Amino acid sequence: MKRGYYWLVLGLSIPAFLWLVPTLWMVSLSFQPNDVLARSTSTTFFGLIPFPFTVENYSALFSFGQTPWWFLNSVIVSLGMTLGILAVSTTAGYALARLDFPGKTAITVICLIGLMVPEQAAFIPLYTMFADFGWHNSYHALILPRMAVPIGVFLMMQFFRAIPKDIEEAARLDGVGWLKIFWYVMLPLARPAMMTLAILTFLYAWNDYLWPLVSAQQRDYFTITLGLASIQSNFAQSEGLGRVMASGVVASLPVVILFLIFQRYVVQAMTLGGSKG
Amino acid sequence: MVGKSGNRLSQAQAAWLLLAPFLITYLLFLVYPFFQGIWISLHDWNLLEVAFNPDAKTFVGFRNYERVMWGRNIEWGLFTAPFWQGLGFVGLALSVFLRRADRLSRFNAIALGVASLLLVVLPGFHPGEEGRWYDRRFWPTVGNTLVFVGLAVPGVTISAMVLAAALNRETKAMGALRTLFFLSQVLSVTVVTLIWQIMFSPRQGLIANITEVLGGTPINWLTDEQFAMAAIVIATIWWSLGVAMILFLAGLQDISREIYEAAALDNARGVKAFWYVTLPNLKRTITLVVVLQIILHFQVFGQAHLMTQGGPNDTTQVLVRYIYQTGFRDSELGRASAMAVFLFLIMGTFSVIQFIAGREKT
Repeated sequence: MKRGYYWLVLGLSIPAFLWLVPTLWMVSLSFQPNDVLARSTSTTFFGLIPFPFTVENYSALFSFGQTPWWFLNSVIVSLGMTLGILAVSTTAGYALARLDFPGKTAITVICLIGLMVPEQAAFIPLYTMFADFGWHNSYHALILPRMAVPIGVFLMMQFFRAIPKDIEEAARLDGVGWLKIFWYVMLPLARPAMMTLAILTFLYAWNDYLWPLVSAQQRDYFTITLGLASIQSNFAQSEGLGRVMASGVVASLPVVILFLIFQRYVVQAMTLGGSKG
Repeated sequence: MVGKSGNRLSQAQAAWLLLAPFLITYLLFLVYPFFQGIWISLHDWNLLEVAFNPDAKTFVGFRNYERVMWGRNIEWGLFTAPFWQGLGFVGLALSVFLRRADRLSRFNAIALGVASLLLVVLPGFHPGEEGRWYDRRFWPTVGNTLVFVGLAVPGVTISAMVLAAALNRETKAMGALRTLFFLSQVLSVTVVTLIWQIMFSPRQGLIANITEVLGGTPINWLTDEQFAMAAIVIATIWWSLGVAMILFLAGLQDISREIYEAAALDNARGVKAFWYVTLPNLKRTITLVVVLQIILHFQVFGQAHLMTQGGPNDTTQVLVRYIYQTGFRDSELGRASAMAVFLFLIMGTFSVIQFIAGREKT
């Protein structure tokens, strides 16, 4: 039994290593000089070991080019979207889960139907609408459409439904208002669910591609995901393979770090959000 | 309530106040665009002309749908696409037979039956003599999308299931391996395509380098009609295996140990136990994963847009990319919206299936 287990781990390490190879290769190429890469990408052990080694690609990345700016855009958009979604989802989720009001069922169903509308079915009218407002090439154009997706509301709604009623009732008997109960009693309890939702949103915002591609046409408003797409088609002539790979590493660092620190939440968030890509 | 609650909100007032921020964004940025999309699809609507003159659109009813999906002298035949239609008949027969033999739940039987019926009916349409499709690229594009889904979904599902079964132990080593397999899932589509574009490059790519060392000739993965779709599918499986694996791990946790112990008494271990114990107990998770993956991969865009630009010769042109191009390169918003409505109907169908499948689980 014990021996079988070690064989299993050993046997699985091989596919796991192969799984890691593409990522490793990107990291390794980003640490090799561009002139070496122009000749060959497999200098040392198929290029998987960064020798000859240089950090020039990274210093070049931060001294000129737009990557740092794009990175900053991504941070602003992702954090803005995360805060926005947390705000509208916790409030609406609480109201739908815990408060009684006429039309509650109808509102819940209307919101549920919204889960079925894929982004791709709405991005054309969203484009014309934002063009009419003159909103393209701005941070709010990248943030607002995503705040309308009801997945967060349902996540919070399900969470609030699971909290025992007596906590709330005790506060009610003391004459505390509904808004205060929401703010001082329910929100502190909701921290784990909010954490999951925040990570789901941040990952989505950071990696979002189609809407930024349509909405942000000025390079100044590119997110890093979009910027990376714009330089990868002609990397050989302009930037050099090593530098493009360095951009890829920089673009991935926040989500990878987030994943490694909050692995449990990330896995939970991505499983919950799986249906919404 | 009593005494001190002079200007306190009633429950309904509080509810509407809390709901307002979400409902406003929802109505403005999801409900309104959705109906506006249907409205645009009923117009001859050029992006640039309407931008300069809001009256430059004309109402054309369903003509965009006709221009996209229909043609002149379209006929239907039973033997137009023998392979697909034959497959449909096999599926129909299977759904009836397996339902009779009680090997399939009613839900699965209906799903299989409907899918098979569509397979019999849809490929049967073809332009008759002197007829032609108005849009030659639309149905091939839908076909490519289906091929992509048909390759990526089983690829992801089967490899994720096998991995999950192998990794289903709570030890440190297994946890580390799970982390490794999940890691690529958090990368953005542009990083994934960046990596794989160069992995597949015939001159610089890692795959080509290894083939050369082994004495083979490197394949032009992304520019060869035979391999381009396979390349995109490989990159996609690498990218999106993680979530499926986690869903399977959760499903495996629900299978009790006693069943395995009982099976071990009957000499069912390893592969045999997987086949006779694990698989039947995972049925619901499999349905869930498959439906989720179909919804996810039907929206494929970035991989095709960035790795192959829909080429070579349109073999990797997929539906969302065609919508994007029709709308933003050709400025034909009306037609693009008609295709988007078509996409919504397909995805909506699968969302309903997912909803029902999810309900069956509890």
